[in-house]
Amino acid sequence: MSSHAHLENQPLPAEPERATLEGRNKITGFWLFLAGETTLFGTLFATYIALRNQTLSGPTANELFDFELVALATFILLVSSLFSVLAVNAMHKHNVKALQFWLFATVIFGLAFLVLEIYEFNHYTELGHTWSKSAFSSSFYALVGFHGAHVAFGLAWIASVIGQLFKKGLTTVTAPKVYVSALYWHFIDVVWVFIFTVVYLMGKVG
Amino acid sequence: MEQRQQQAAGTPSKVKRGPVHEGMRNHYLAFVVSIVLTALAFFAVMTPELDTRFKYSFIVILAIIQAAFQLFFWMHLKDRGHKIPIMFMGSGVLFVVTFIIMAVFWVWW
Repeated sequence: MSSHAHLENQPLPAEPERATLEGRNKITGFWLFLAGETTLFGTLFATYIALRNQTLSGPTANELFDFELVALATFILLVSSLFSVLAVNAMHKHNVKALQFWLFATVIFGLAFLVLEIYEFNHYTELGHTWSKSAFSSSFYALVGFHGAHVAFGLAWIASVIGQLFKKGLTTVTAPKVYVSALYWHFIDVVWVFIFTVVYLMGKVG
Repeated sequence: MEQRQQQAAGTPSKVKRGPVHEGMRNHYLAFVVSIVLTALAFFAVMTPELDTRFKYSFIVILAIIQAAFQLFFWMHLKDRGHKIPIMFMGSGVLFVVTFIIMAVFWVWW
């Protein structure tokens, strides 16, 4: 706290997330975390790619995937990622109300994505595509479910950031938290781009 | 810290920084590009005349372009002072490429 206490009575700088050394370190450190996440998702993607045709007696990817649902989920997540861009833009204009509104919109759309995914998984289970059915189903749920867990965690995180903005307002302490949670949300969308391509589109190619 | 404090108070600083209010144009551009590339990949897969090998490489290239747009525009990797994050992500991607090559070419060798 002491490293930025002297800034408290100053007017808020243009880029409040980078105004303190602590804020800048948080952002750089968060990129190291995202690089680690990239590697982690890479292992799950590799596992899925190696096992995706090992369906045993269970349904294949081509039989399972419902494109309208997946296209809708993809669009929703992309829009929610745009909303967190708008949130950071509002933060740079020091507009706390707009910032909270866009973060809230991000959470709502993220929640809609999660509901669709839960419905999708439930639907697949009814079709016999369960966790332990085949190497394909295990690697599918490991990859897509791990992404879904990231979405769920991100929702709780961004919701708590909104709450803290109510309590403490936009300061050089809360600004890096907003920025970093937006980075995390964009990263989740980038991972989904590859899930959409590798899992769903390639599943339809054969 | 002293320098930063002065900067926060409005004194000009020697530290070079990227544009603060670059506006939303690039961000909307990334959004439109994302939608167009996703639709393009979708229609490529749905076209039966296309060769399967072509489809695979085409949609992967489209995904990489879309990811690059989101990383560099939405996540600000193109802005000044992002050399270290680019190095972090680059090393992460190197690992991922190794894993994917292993999965595609070595597992069922």
